[in-house]
Amino acid sequence: METSTQTQKSQAPGVHPRPLWSVHPESDRQAGDAIVSNFILHWFPAKALVASLAWRYSLWLGTASAALLLLLVLSGLPLLFLHVPSVERAYASVKDIEYVVTFGYWIRSVHRYAAHFMVAAVFLHLVRVFLTGAYKNGTGRNQRREWNWVLGVMMLLLTLFLSFTGYLLPWDQLAYWAVTVGTNIASSIPLVGPQIRELLLGGRNIDQPTLIRFYVLHVIVLPGGLGALFAYHMWRIRKDGGLASADHATALPAKVETPPAPTKTYTLLGLARGTGPTIRASSVEAPDTTVNSVPDLTRRAAIVVLGTIAAISILSVFVHSPLEEPANPLVTPNPAKAPWYFLWLQEIVTDTTVKIGSFTLNGAFIGGVILPGLLVGLLTAWPWLDKSPAGAAGRWFPKDRRTQNLVFLVIVFLVLALTFIGTFCRGPYWKLYWPWESWPVMPTRI
Amino acid sequence: MEKRTPAPFRKRDRAILAVIGVLLIVSTFLFLNSYYAHDWRYYQREFKQRVAQKFGADKARTVPSGLQQIWVPELQHADRCVSCHQATQWKGFEDVEEPYRTHPSAILKAHPVERYGCTSCHGGQGYAIDAPEAHGPVAFWEEPLLSRTMGEEYSLADKGALHQMSCNVCHRFDRETKGADAINLAKNLVKVKGCRACHVVNGRGGSIGPDLTYVGEKAPEQYDYSRLSGQKTAFAWHVAHLKEPRALVADTVMPNFNFTTKEAQALAMLVMSWRRSPVPASFLAGAPRTDPQTPEEVEEERRMATGPGAWFVKTGCFVCHSISALGVKSPAQIGPDLSIAVEDVQSRFGRTVDDFLKAPTGTMAVVLSRQIILTDEQKAVAVQKLREAFAEHQKQKAAGKAPPLSR
Repeated sequence: METSTQTQKSQAPGVHPRPLWSVHPESDRQAGDAIVSNFILHWFPAKALVASLAWRYSLWLGTASAALLLLLVLSGLPLLFLHVPSVERAYASVKDIEYVVTFGYWIRSVHRYAAHFMVAAVFLHLVRVFLTGAYKNGTGRNQRREWNWVLGVMMLLLTLFLSFTGYLLPWDQLAYWAVTVGTNIASSIPLVGPQIRELLLGGRNIDQPTLIRFYVLHVIVLPGGLGALFAYHMWRIRKDGGLASADHATALPAKVETPPAPTKTYTLLGLARGTGPTIRASSVEAPDTTVNSVPDLTRRAAIVVLGTIAAISILSVFVHSPLEEPANPLVTPNPAKAPWYFLWLQEIVTDTTVKIGSFTLNGAFIGGVILPGLLVGLLTAWPWLDKSPAGAAGRWFPKDRRTQNLVFLVIVFLVLALTFIGTFCRGPYWKLYWPWESWPVMPTRI
Repeated sequence: MEKRTPAPFRKRDRAILAVIGVLLIVSTFLFLNSYYAHDWRYYQREFKQRVAQKFGADKARTVPSGLQQIWVPELQHADRCVSCHQATQWKGFEDVEEPYRTHPSAILKAHPVERYGCTSCHGGQGYAIDAPEAHGPVAFWEEPLLSRTMGEEYSLADKGALHQMSCNVCHRFDRETKGADAINLAKNLVKVKGCRACHVVNGRGGSIGPDLTYVGEKAPEQYDYSRLSGQKTAFAWHVAHLKEPRALVADTVMPNFNFTTKEAQALAMLVMSWRRSPVPASFLAGAPRTDPQTPEEVEEERRMATGPGAWFVKTGCFVCHSISALGVKSPAQIGPDLSIAVEDVQSRFGRTVDDFLKAPTGTMAVVLSRQIILTDEQKAVAVQKLREAFAEHQKQKAAGKAPPLSR
């Protein structure tokens, strides 16, 4: 043990004697060194609470979302070289990706499924954070968890918009008409609606200006914004003292007083602002409540990230991404649907469009503007409206938050149910079909 | 120095991570395999062997390998059919099965594959590299391979005739195209049955029916299939509609021409081929670019429009009725000859012509209320003109020179 420490010491930190290496820290100090000397791992604390690593608490949905984002960036890079953002050539370039680019169909499918799953994962992450009240400040000083929640809501909206802008790029019928439906809903905003639609489309029709706008948003503006917010989101987690579930663990008194270490060990300096050395008195340093981030936290992160990658990769081999007919403004597919994560809105739009004689109540305004606006507004403001005690933070279904959790779950269920109906039960002419019922055969040319 | 704190879940996590590592390796093999599993690799090996057997190993070395495509920039076609169909331009494989068969050479001389690609004539999805997607029918690709199999599905008289539709996209102004028998038959029917009496085709014709010049571009969703049984395709719709128009469109005035199945199929192919040609002008060298009338046709039209029967031509009666006595020949000849209408109406309906025109029954009730709307004064003129025609007919009959009446 002594000799290996010596070897370690003779190296500059972060420089390893062998190109292929693995970490086998034998002491807490070595485990801490592994964090500090590594660029990629520098954002982890030296030690992590066992409680915050639990599968059952966070479900690791945030990490899965980040893994999907990583996968999207990685698969998006080759697609950037292959896709031609022009009305005349986009469709053919996607056909080429699909058929002749080596592994092209797989890269495109990885990108597409990662995008769909990221929308789902980010949404589920938000649901988890709400249900566990993880946006609430706990016992640590100067916590600002509510602002991290606001960042999260913004990131959900960015994720949706990223996926939506990507929808148009293949320039097929699905793309064209999904964007038609989406931007028509935007145009129902009173007073400024048509202008917003025109700003999005770069004109009054979906054409080359729309394609290049969506393209630039999709490959530069939105990923850049999401990347920045992601970094901020991570930083805030550290500043807020880690996961909300950690608050309980830190609040517990230590079972056994840990004697001061003879050599300096890395403490959880970043865990909560202002707590500093006093934290030693609590359980955070206790051997049975904490583990070393390297390798116990990193191993778990690797499980989630690599597991997500493996799942998406295998799915993409078997389920190819569809590419419909080339975009045709003259032929509306039947049914014309928005992307699936907006179908609950499209469903509300159709259900709230009421015709009384010659008077039409425009459902697009209710379902497309008022309702989502209200929901997003409520979501954003909720940490300040939630008056439950700090002790309710970081637990599943605490008694203090029973009513708000129930109401939230009902809304989530409604959104999911409407999404399900819009996706699986709406057939040609927007008629209702059971999922097992077959739709009437749509005619073809020959 | 204190020992490292052991994690309580280290063993289990290591096992999970190991499983995921295996999954990653599996996924790598899966997508590598999907890359190598394409059928074209097998067909290329097989063709190379066949060439080696027939012409020797030296010749076999000249067979290209890897994905092949014909890129025609003018048409924006990337036809990868030749990845499997490598024998297209090899002599000596005329009698073997696809995809190892030589393409008939005569047609390729006039339409070199480098300039036209494959899909211009055969249909299908040139982008695709696997038979199901390339040949179709497949979702989201509206141009399936115009194959014999598809001809069999439609029970065509000539099973391989479907790709003649492609010929006619460029050759639409030919009166006759060599090798396109079905299209030629249909073109002749268009002339004989006088479709232009009601329909505009290539800018010329009547306005009673819709303009058919580019009807082949009409989207399949735009037809009404509610009364069509069987395949829901634009082509099937046209075949059924040509055989019995009223069965598909209840209130149509298009008559039933009693086409045989073969004729209806040929006509359906013709109308489906009436699409805008995506081909640059240089490709059409030698093919007519307009649809001119012959001098005889022009003269005939002038004579009818200015002769004694001019009123019937101008008013539109001639679309269905000949007036042989006045030298007016109907292109469609659906209704009875009006030369003897004075007598004929009396014997058919037991009413005078005046009376019948005032309150027509049957088809004429529909035509006179929708297509040709006459005022009372015009109706009086009509009766007058019909009497004149009858007088002329009797005069000719007395002289023994009356032309035969139509129908």
